[in-house]
Amino acid sequence: MELRVDKKRLTFAAVIAGAVLTTVGFVLAFLVAPPVLADTTLASGGGAMIGGELIANPVLFSQKIFYFHVPVAITSFIIFFFTALYGLRFLMTKDKAFDTKARIATEVTLVFVVLTMITGDLWTRFEWGKWWVWEPRLTTYFIMMMLVIVYFVLRASIEDEERRAVYAAAFGILAFLDAPLSFLITRLVPSGNHPVVFKVGGGLDAIQVTTSVVALLGMLCLGYAIYQMRFREERAKERIEALKASLED
Amino acid sequence: MPDAAAAARRVSSWRQFKAILRKDIVMELRTKEMLTSMSLYALLTLVVYQIALSQSGSGFDIRLIAAGLVWLAFVFTSMLGLNRSLVHEKDQGCLEALLLSPVDRPVIFFAKSIGNLIFLLIVEIITVPIFAVAFMSGRPIAGPFWMIVLSGLVGSIGIAGVGTFLATMAVNARGGSFILSVLFIPLMYPALLAAVAGTSAAVLGGPGYVDMFWRSVGMGAGIDAIMLLAVYGLYEFIVSA
Repeated sequence: MELRVDKKRLTFAAVIAGAVLTTVGFVLAFLVAPPVLADTTLASGGGAMIGGELIANPVLFSQKIFYFHVPVAITSFIIFFFTALYGLRFLMTKDKAFDTKARIATEVTLVFVVLTMITGDLWTRFEWGKWWVWEPRLTTYFIMMMLVIVYFVLRASIEDEERRAVYAAAFGILAFLDAPLSFLITRLVPSGNHPVVFKVGGGLDAIQVTTSVVALLGMLCLGYAIYQMRFREERAKERIEALKASLED
Repeated sequence: MPDAAAAARRVSSWRQFKAILRKDIVMELRTKEMLTSMSLYALLTLVVYQIALSQSGSGFDIRLIAAGLVWLAFVFTSMLGLNRSLVHEKDQGCLEALLLSPVDRPVIFFAKSIGNLIFLLIVEIITVPIFAVAFMSGRPIAGPFWMIVLSGLVGSIGIAGVGTFLATMAVNARGGSFILSVLFIPLMYPALLAAVAGTSAAVLGGPGYVDMFWRSVGMGAGIDAIMLLAVYGLYEFIVSA
């Protein structure tokens, strides 16, 4: 009982911490963190070359989106890991709670994946001038989004509860394995003409790193909080169903 | 003689494997259903390619996309075949009987996968020359022929293994073949990309293509190994659920 109270408090704390940290991250990103200057040595007449594209404004205001985009992307990977982990735990124990946990983790992953896609797309549109480029990170991410969506398609298509749980667990594990493999293959077997990725890690100074870390911690807290709240809701639902069933007997 | 009796009762895994594989091949030889439908489907895919490329003009170098087109045909035909191979098992209650018999689950998986691999390879052997004659005439491939064969083999092993696993899931889901395709394509993405890169290197040539070929095939083999290991470990849960 005590553990449950603790978890409730922890969730509440995570919501507060997430809200505060992401807000602080935002403020830092826009007001404090200096922009990464484009490498003007490559420039031809005032512009800069980034990702093989000529950028007109060397001071890139749109790069602020990275303080949102990168933390969200990292969080989505971390939560997706729990899909696989809980899937594995379910297969080992056949405990239904793990199936619910894996499902909720995948739901939260989907939220963060969609956020990553939207923010990433804004970036590519403004910096590369294109809505979409088949570039390793984008491709990998697109495949991962498909896998997460397909996870729910698979669940929806199986009626038997036990079987649905087993299939979803197996697919979750495979999907989690697939994401890094996609990244690896798009990196190591480059296609003929894709732009060089804009490297974020290249020349970040202390304040930029701090901003990223603050935003990342905030996103992780939020992810955890969303997960916990959804899980509590689902557990309550399951308990009500169980109670209803026992009343009918 | 307790040892001999035990040996007689316990049929070795290898014999179980051979029995399941033989069953699939004998059934196919009698009905010829899968091979005809898969080959026909592959041919029709080539017709669709003709439509798609009909306006590309004579200056267009088909070799740039030849590997991709061929693999696309394999992907679609293999999904058709994989679905059929498991639907048969399910409809005729064969899968249940197999599960009731004291056969190890991995043996079922390997036998079905190898069966599917054989059918896929036969279709590939039929399709590739037709593709070469229909689309590649006058444009020779740069690399040696064994490179095409090797990259084809590496890609097909992945398709057959992971595909058999996913088809086993799909037959128990509503809308089986649809589910198979939506599971199959994103999950096979890395393996297919490696296969296309390998075959493409062999077709196109150019500086450093041998290096590129080995890198792609090596990656493809590695991805196959990881995915097949995972699928092998998970098959027991899937097939008994």
